[in-house]
Amino acid sequence: MSVNNGGDKGTRNLVIIMVSFIVVIGVVFSLISSRSNTSATVPASVSAADGYGIVLNPNTKPTIDVYIDYQCPICRTFEILNGGYLNEVIAQNKAKVVYHPMTFIGPESILAANAAACAADENKFVGMNLALFQDQSTSENSGKWQGDALLNIGKSIGIESAKFEKCIKDGSYINWTGNVAAASAKANVNGTPTIFVNGKELDRNSEYADPVKFKAALAAGGVK
Amino acid sequence: MVDKFKVSQPWLTLIARLILGGVLIAAGALKIGNLQKSAMAVRAYEILPVQLANFLGYTLPWVEIGVGLLLITGAAVKISGLIGAITMLTFIIAISQAWARGLSIDCGCFGGGGAINPEDTRYISEIIRDLGLFLLGIYLYFYPKGRFGLDK
Repeated sequence: MSVNNGGDKGTRNLVIIMVSFIVVIGVVFSLISSRSNTSATVPASVSAADGYGIVLNPNTKPTIDVYIDYQCPICRTFEILNGGYLNEVIAQNKAKVVYHPMTFIGPESILAANAAACAADENKFVGMNLALFQDQSTSENSGKWQGDALLNIGKSIGIESAKFEKCIKDGSYINWTGNVAAASAKANVNGTPTIFVNGKELDRNSEYADPVKFKAALAAGGVK
Repeated sequence: MVDKFKVSQPWLTLIARLILGGVLIAAGALKIGNLQKSAMAVRAYEILPVQLANFLGYTLPWVEIGVGLLLITGAAVKISGLIGAITMLTFIIAISQAWARGLSIDCGCFGGGGAINPEDTRYISEIIRDLGLFLLGIYLYFYPKGRFGLDK
């Protein structure tokens, strides 16, 4: 009788210890893997000071920060409505624009962000950014961007280099996407798209979907 | 009535353990694969300072899995039930304040989370669900001993 009770208590305590062990290991693992990796390979156009975002026109003011996820449907809508104007601003050097490709929707977000970074190395980020949104699948995590799909998108906008192909196939900047995620977490970005002009967040209910209001918001922030 | 309860209580405890434990494990497991989203879900409530919200987002899924495992195996049920109940109460308060303040978010309880369209919010059903789970946790605190449990 007492041996039985002792054995049961032993099993119980063993289970409690094992579960506690799992929780502690899990917590430590999660906290470490969510941090920025300062030794990660980052594209040349990326600035750690700008939340590890891809920077266009680094020496211009004001600064526009654009947080997106390439699988996010509302981000695609935003690109369709306002991408043209934003690309004009970039081409005419009217503002420094920093893109933060977040990757919370799923693994293909990571692949797409990697492809965008690889394209940035070829000075073709803007074209790739647009092409990715144009090629966005109608459902999230559909598998559309597996295999050679992203390589082919690069080819369709004129990127033919072996360096780009290696970058895509090796997933050279996948670790960098973790840095972007960590920086976005610190910046308290909780949905995409999210736009800041000189650190001031635009109103997502009125200024993202209306091209006139978006242009006005940028002008109010100093974009001539 | 009292006799009927006495007979059925060990089974009720088992059922409560399995339901609350199962839900907690599912909730945690769905978040583990996407910690970015888990942290976003906590930040979207706009209650905690950003660093604390992120910390909670990265660690809560493991606590849920741990407490869920203890409940299913029936070890340390009293305290696990209490932790489960406190967790549910916290969710209820968080969701209620988000609703009252006019935030449009998904509770993030099962891996979703963050800002959503105002017409897609499901605050009432989320609160009712968590209220039920809260009551299960309280019940287990008072009646932790049941069938097929490791606590003796």
